[in-house]
Amino acid sequence: MHCELKEKDRIGTINPIFTCQPAGAQYASIGIKECIGIVHGGQGCVMFVRLLISQHLKESFEIASSSVHEDGAVFGALDRVEQAVDVLLMRYPHVKVVPIISTCSTEVIGDDIDGVVRKLNEELLPEKYPGREVHLIPIHTPSFVGSMVTGYDVAVRDFVKYFAEKGEPNGKLNLITGWVNPGDVKALKHLLAEMDIQANVLFEIESFDSPLMPDGNFVSHGSTTIEDLKRTGSASATLALNRYEGGQAAKYLENEFGQPTIVGPTPIGIRNTDTFLANLKKLTGKPIPHSLVVERGIAIDALTDLTHMFLADKRVAIYGNPDLVIGLAEFCLDLEMKPVLLLLGDDNANYGDDPRIQAMQQNVDYPMEIITNADLWDLEDRVKNQGLELDLILGHSKGRFAAMECNVPMVRVGFPTYDRAGLYRYPVVGYEGATWLAEQMANTLFTDMEYKKNKEWVLNVW
Amino acid sequence: MPYHEFECSTCIPERKKHAVVKGPGETLADALPLGYLNTIPGTISERGCAYCGAKHVIGTPMKDVIHISHGPVGCTYDTWQTKRYISDNDNFQLKYTFATDVKEKHIVFGAEKLLKQNIIEAFKAHPTIKRMTIYQTCATALIGDDIDAIAQEVMEELPDVDIFVCNSPGFAGPSQSGGHHKINIAWIKNKVGTVEPEITSDYVINYVGEYNIQGDQEVMQDFFKRMGIQILSTFTGNGSYDDLRAMHKAHLNVLECARSAEYICNELRVKYGIPRLDIDGFGFEPLGNSLRKVGLFFGIEDRAQAIIDEETARWKPELDWYKARLMHKKVCLWPGGSKLWHWANVIHEEMGVDVVSVYTKFGHQGDMEKGIARCEQGALAIDDPNELESVEAMYKLKPDIIFTGKRPGEVAKKIRVPYLNAHAYHNGPWKGYEGWVRFARDIYNGIYSPIHELSKLDISKDEIPTDKGFVTQRMLSDANLPDEVRNDPNLRQYTGKYDMLAALRGKTYPAFEQHTPKEAAA
Amino acid sequence: MSEVKTERIEQMIDYIMKKCLWQFQSRAWDRRDQNLGVLSKTTQILCGEHVELETPADRCYWVDAVCLAEAYRERLPWLAALSVPEIKDLMQGLHERLDFLTIDGSLNEELTDQMY
Ligand code: SF4
Ligand code: SF4
Repeated sequence: MHCELKEKDRIGTINPIFTCQPAGAQYASIGIKECIGIVHGGQGCVMFVRLLISQHLKESFEIASSSVHEDGAVFGALDRVEQAVDVLLMRYPHVKVVPIISTCSTEVIGDDIDGVVRKLNEELLPEKYPGREVHLIPIHTPSFVGSMVTGYDVAVRDFVKYFAEKGEPNGKLNLITGWVNPGDVKALKHLLAEMDIQANVLFEIESFDSPLMPDGNFVSHGSTTIEDLKRTGSASATLALNRYEGGQAAKYLENEFGQPTIVGPTPIGIRNTDTFLANLKKLTGKPIPHSLVVERGIAIDALTDLTHMFLADKRVAIYGNPDLVIGLAEFCLDLEMKPVLLLLGDDNANYGDDPRIQAMQQNVDYPMEIITNADLWDLEDRVKNQGLELDLILGHSKGRFAAMECNVPMVRVGFPTYDRAGLYRYPVVGYEGATWLAEQMANTLFTDMEYKKNKEWVLNVW
Repeated sequence: MPYHEFECSTCIPERKKHAVVKGPGETLADALPLGYLNTIPGTISERGCAYCGAKHVIGTPMKDVIHISHGPVGCTYDTWQTKRYISDNDNFQLKYTFATDVKEKHIVFGAEKLLKQNIIEAFKAHPTIKRMTIYQTCATALIGDDIDAIAQEVMEELPDVDIFVCNSPGFAGPSQSGGHHKINIAWIKNKVGTVEPEITSDYVINYVGEYNIQGDQEVMQDFFKRMGIQILSTFTGNGSYDDLRAMHKAHLNVLECARSAEYICNELRVKYGIPRLDIDGFGFEPLGNSLRKVGLFFGIEDRAQAIIDEETARWKPELDWYKARLMHKKVCLWPGGSKLWHWANVIHEEMGVDVVSVYTKFGHQGDMEKGIARCEQGALAIDDPNELESVEAMYKLKPDIIFTGKRPGEVAKKIRVPYLNAHAYHNGPWKGYEGWVRFARDIYNGIYSPIHELSKLDISKDEIPTDKGFVTQRMLSDANLPDEVRNDPNLRQYTGKYDMLAALRGKTYPAFEQHTPKEAAA
Repeated sequence: MSEVKTERIEQMIDYIMKKCLWQFQSRAWDRRDQNLGVLSKTTQILCGEHVELETPADRCYWVDAVCLAEAYRERLPWLAALSVPEIKDLMQGLHERLDFLTIDGSLNEELTDQMY
C-alpha cells in the first residue's frame, strides 16, 4: 500500500492547523439570525475568535463573553453567565437565540451551564422578560477535546436538537453545508434552484458577503431563522455535505424523525458534484436539468484545457478541515495531480473509517501520507529537512509562512484566508467551484514558474 | 454633569462612571472615568485576556525565542499571526508558534510530562534557538501544573538552554493588562541580572515598552545609534532574550509604552537605581524633546540636536503638506492603551485634526488621566467601551476617521467611517520623523478616499454626478483650500519608499570614542 | 491667590498636562517624587541657581526640568519680567496645584496601591 494513514510522530504542536472547539461553535452561531452567543470563559476565547472570523470575512458580527476573571475561575463563574444573559437581553431587544458556549476553563472548573440555563428559564426569563421568546442553549465545547471542526459539528447538532420539531411535512430538504464560505452557500443554492428543490440551508451565511449601504448597517449576521431550525424536523429528507461538520446533526434528524438522510460526499470537484446531484435526485425525485449539463460542460471544458499540459503529476500538499482536504485530494486526483501529503489537524480516531480515505489507501499508486493530529511543521519539516518535493500547497492562511519557507506556491482555500482578497466570495463546491479551484491552481503555478524562471516560456503558446 | 451616559447603557448603570466629557474649566480632579475594573459580562466589550497581554503583546516580540503555550491549541492558534511585530532575524517569532496540545487525558492526569516532552521536541525542531518562554493558559493554570519545576528540570538536563516561565492565564485580571503586569514582574524577578553584558558605549540605555510594530523599534534604534548610544536591550520588540537578561546594567530606562511596561522600569529603579524617563516616539516635537532629554542625560544633547535639525528639515515640509489638508477633521482616537495619550495632543498640534473622542480598551485610570489631559475640551473619553456604545458614539460624533483595531474597524466601515489600524498600523512604521509623515499620509488617504466618497451616494435617491470619470484625492482635499496653501512651493507630499526599513537595516554608524573602560563581562 | 497668579499657574499647568509625562507615574509616592524633583530643578534653572546633579535620578529630573524651563521661557513672555522671589513663589504655587491635580485631588484609585 502506498497511501499511509498515521498520526504525527511528535507530541506537541508547532504551528497549529486548527483552533479549538469554541471557535467552531462561534462560527456556527453567527449563521443564525437574532442570535448572539455567549462564550463562557476568559475574554480571549471570544476576542481572538471574533478577530479571526472578521479577518476572514472582512465583516463584523456579534459574540459576547461572560468575561470570567480570577474570582470566577476560583469560585465558579455561573453568576457571570446569568449576568451576561441579562445584560445581553436588555441591550439587544431583538435577540432570541443565545447559545452558551463553554471553554476549557469553565469545563475544567466544572461550571454547570445546563443547570444555569434551567435556572434562568425558571427565574430570569419569566420574571424579567415575560412574553419574550428567548432560547438559551448550552453547548459544551471543551477545547481539550477535538478541534474547531468538532466544535462546529457539536454546535450544529445542538442547535438542531434544540429546535427541530415534528410538524406537517413541508416537502423541503435540509441541506447542512458544513463549515463553508458565503460563496459556497450561493453556489449550492444555485444548484438547488436549477434542480427546482426547496431547501432549508443550514446555515444561511451568504449574507456575510454584505454590502456597504448608503444608510449604514453595522453588523452582518446569518439569516437562518428559528422557524428554519424548527422546520428541520419536518423536512422530507436531510443531506449533509460534510461528514465531520454537520454529520452529527444529520444523524440526529435521521434517528429522531426518520428522515431519509445522506451524509457526504463534499461536492468538491466534478465527480463529487455529480454525486451530490445524484443524491439530490434520489432524495427528492427531481430530475437533473439540461442547464446543469451545460454548466458541467463549461467546467469540464475549462478543466480539459489545464489537466494534461499543466496540472498532471504536480505534487500537492493539502491541509485544513478534513472534509475539505479529502474533497480537494479527490479532485486533484481527477485532475491528474498527485496529492502527496494530507494534513488533518486533529486526533479524530475515526479518520481510518472514512471510506474516502480507505479508497485512497486502496488505489493510490505512489507514496502518499495522511497525517492526523498534524501541524504545519509536519509540512515544513518534510520539505526543508526530509527531502519532500512539492509543486503546490493548498490550505488556509495560517500556513503562509510555511509555504514561503518551503518556497512552494500556495492556493488559499478553507478557513481562514485572510491574506488574500475576497476568497470567501468564491465557491469551492459545485461545478463552478471546480473550475475556480483548478484555474486558481493553474494560475498560481504559472506565476510561480515565471518568478522562478521555471519553463516560463511554456506559456508563450497555449 | 461631566459623566456621559450612553442611551444603550442606561440599563447597566455601572457603565455610567466609565465615560466622561471633558467640560470647560474642568480638571482631572473633577471627573475621571473608572478604569481597569472587571468587565460587565455580556456587554460585548473589546477586551482580551491576560494570557494575550503577556504572550501576545509583550512575550512574543522577543525574536530569538521559542514561544510555547502550555494548554490546548486554541490560545496559541488564535494569537498567532494577528500582529505586526517584526524583527531583523527574519521574523522567527512571527513564523513559529508552539502549543503543548493538552488533551482531555492530560486534564485528568496532569500535563507536566507532556510539557517536558514538548520542550525537548521544540528545541530539537529548531536547534539554533536556545531560549524559550513558556506561557501558562487557563486550562493548565486550573489543573495546577508546576511549569517552573519542569523548566528547571529541563535546564539542568540541557545546560545550553534557558527557559522563562510566564504564569499569566487568561482569567488573571480584567483584561490583557493583567498579563502585561505579570510578565513584567516575572521577567525582572527571574531573568534580569542573569547575564553580564558587554558594554560598548559610555551611554547605555534599555528601550522599554516598544514592540517594533512595522519597524518602530528599528526607526528609534537608528536615532540612538546615531547618537552613539548603546541599546542594551529592547523590551521587547526586536529584542533579544539574553540582552533582556542584562537590563540591570543600563544607565537609563527609556520608556515608551508605560501602560504595558512601566512595571519593569519601576522595579529596575527600585532595585538597581536606574532612572525611568518616559518619552514619546510619535510626533516631531515630542520625539525631538525625547531625543534631547536622552542626549541631555548623557551630556550629548548636541548629537540629538543634529538629528532633530536634519530630520526636521527633511520631513517637516511633507508633514505640513498633510496638516494643511487635515485641519479640523474629526478623529475618534480609540486604541488599546498607550496611543490614547501618545497621540491625543500631537495629532491635533502637528496634523491639525480634532480629537473628538478617546477610548481605551484595557487602560487604567492613569492612562485616562494622560489622555484626557492631552485632548481638547469637549472630547468624550470612554473606558472599556462596548460595541453598542462605540456605534452610538460614532453616530453622535460623526468622525471623519477613527483609529482603532481591525474588527471595530469593520463596524466603522459599515457606517461609512474610514478607519486606520491603531495597533498594527496601515502603512507604518509610524514612529520617527518619516514614520510620522507616513501616519499623516495614511490619515489623508483614509479621509480623502474616492471610494469612501462614493459610499455615501444613494443612486436610487440622490442626484448622480455624471460629469466625472474619476476623482483624485487631491481633487477632494484641495477643493476648498486657498490658493496659497494649495500651491505652497515649500510643501510636498510624502516622498519615501514603501519599505523604509531596508535602508536602515544595512546602515553603518560612526564610531564614537569610549571614555570609560570596558566593563569585564562576569 | 491673585487672579494673575492663578491665571499664570494655569498656563503652566496646561503645558505640563499636554506635553509632559513625568507627572503621571502610576503611584502616589512616585508622583510626589517626580513633581518635586522636576519642579524644584525647573525652579533652580529659571532662577539661575546651581542644580544638583549628583545621582542618576537627579539627572533624570533635570533633563525634564531643562526642557520645561525652556518651554516656559519660550511660551510665557511674562516670565522674563519676573524677579527670582516672584518665580519661586509662582513655582511654589504651580507645585501645589500639580500635586493637587495629580495626587491629592486625583480620582485615580490606583495611586494608593502598595505595589507596582
Ligand atoms: S484553548 Fe481554551 S482558553 Fe484557549 S482559546 Fe480555546 S477555549 Fe479559550
Ligand atoms: S497599550 Fe498599545 S502600544 Fe502598549 S502594548 Fe498595548 S497595543 Fe501596544
